[in-house]
Amino acid sequence: MIYGLVAIGISLIYSGLDIIHFAHGEIYMLGAFIGLTIYNQFHAPFVLVLISAMILTAIVGALIERVFYRRLTKSGGGYTVAGMGMVICGFGMSIILQNLAFLIWGPKPHPFPITFGMPLEIGDLTLPSSYAWIVSAAIVLMVLLHLFLKNTRLGLAVRAVAGNKEIAFLMGINVPLTITLIFGLACALGAAAGVLIGPINYVQVLMGQGILVKAFAAAVIGGFGSLPGAVLGGLLVGVIESLGAGYLSASYKDIYAFILLIFVMMLRPSGMFGVIAKVKA
Amino acid sequence: MNAILQTNEVIGGYGSVQILNGVSLKVDRGQMVALLGGNGTGKSTMLKALSGLLKPWSGSIVFDGERIDGLRPDQIVQKGLVQVTQGKEAYPAMTVEENLLLGAHVCRDRATRLRGLERSYTYFPILKERRRQLTGTLSGGQLQMLCIARGLMSEPKMMLLDEPSAALAPQVVMEIFRIIGRICRDGMTLLMVEQNVRMALLLVEYGYVIKDGVIHLEGPAENMIHDDAVRMSYLGGTVANSDIKLSH
Repeated sequence: MIYGLVAIGISLIYSGLDIIHFAHGEIYMLGAFIGLTIYNQFHAPFVLVLISAMILTAIVGALIERVFYRRLTKSGGGYTVAGMGMVICGFGMSIILQNLAFLIWGPKPHPFPITFGMPLEIGDLTLPSSYAWIVSAAIVLMVLLHLFLKNTRLGLAVRAVAGNKEIAFLMGINVPLTITLIFGLACALGAAAGVLIGPINYVQVLMGQGILVKAFAAAVIGGFGSLPGAVLGGLLVGVIESLGAGYLSASYKDIYAFILLIFVMMLRPSGMFGVIAKVKA
Repeated sequence: MNAILQTNEVIGGYGSVQILNGVSLKVDRGQMVALLGGNGTGKSTMLKALSGLLKPWSGSIVFDGERIDGLRPDQIVQKGLVQVTQGKEAYPAMTVEENLLLGAHVCRDRATRLRGLERSYTYFPILKERRRQLTGTLSGGQLQMLCIARGLMSEPKMMLLDEPSAALAPQVVMEIFRIIGRICRDGMTLLMVEQNVRMALLLVEYGYVIKDGVIHLEGPAENMIHDDAVRMSYLGGTVANSDIKLSH
């Protein structure tokens, strides 16, 4: 589920900006830290922590896009042409964000001291109730995203920009502003994932690393650029990983996601809901 | 001054390649004008300059009293100048109705949007039938109709048409041109970029022929239809000579 949220962010950024955002793992980490700080300072209820972390991270993300990434498009052609530069910039931003986090929060893993009450018992499974929170929050977010994209005027504009920027311009859509919005949205989702996983795992500066590649794999498995694909891919990766860890070997846990990736790439290279390559006008 | 659109010595191009070498033309309110030319003459580039997708290097474009050269395309749409794309530029992943609503993006209120939908369905009943279908199911002619309807949604002051006959069968082209004629008689101002010289001149009132990035010829449509110079400049001079025979 967590992979799904981050994967949606990655696919969103790809369809909106035509770039692969290598700093997205750090956005996830940033969201977690912001959420943690808010919680430690204000002891607010979890839902509020989640929402405010999402908004704040979205704003930070939007600023990063506007101030840094946007400059790479100055020579014209938009993000597509700036592709290679963006990859490097993404790596750089990832390092910057990690070091900023080191400076602010220190290298030690922080626990997220929040309790959700008694564990749930379903059949003969005992799950920590935080799992229920994660799943329901993730589902709610995904449903909200879907409704936004399908039923609102702005959502339609986002889909138009993701599809073909020139035509979107001709529809009277402020494309640069919408691109910033898409980026902010993707960052909000990444932050949500970070905050949601906080209570289960420790919040630490390097948490973005592991998640980026797996979420990336999930996005590719589902079909890069496809949002439902990202969700499905995320679910698949999560399930395969847990199954693998449970039945095969827990110490090789990280491999299962990539084995799945290789498998899917061999069978269906464009991913499950593979999006046809966009035609640039 | 009755001109709603006026360009003056527009120069521009892509990268270091200059395509437009000083294009000056004008369109009066309520007039139907065609911009004609073959491939590579600069008419598509000029269209991009008018709709804002290309920033001119020099020269001016004035629409409804305001300079629009250098504005973003969405700003130009807000001023009431809309480019109607070719049929293939409809969004394939969206339904007919969603595409239409996208055309009304600049309209803030629901009433205008609904009115736009109603008008689209009146001009093009086939769109109403297929309004919840993805555009991938539409034929070439229907897609062009969709794009025209989409362009009208924001109730623009003037429309720019981008080669509406492209890739369409002659019967279909005639039907679409008939509808365009009807829309213009209902009060729309039109500048149509076209390769199909004959059909365009049968529809419009005034024509410009662009060649090598400048306006080569202009005049009332009835004159241009019979003008040999038009045929020569468009067809390059050799095929226009009627004593060439295709031997077998």
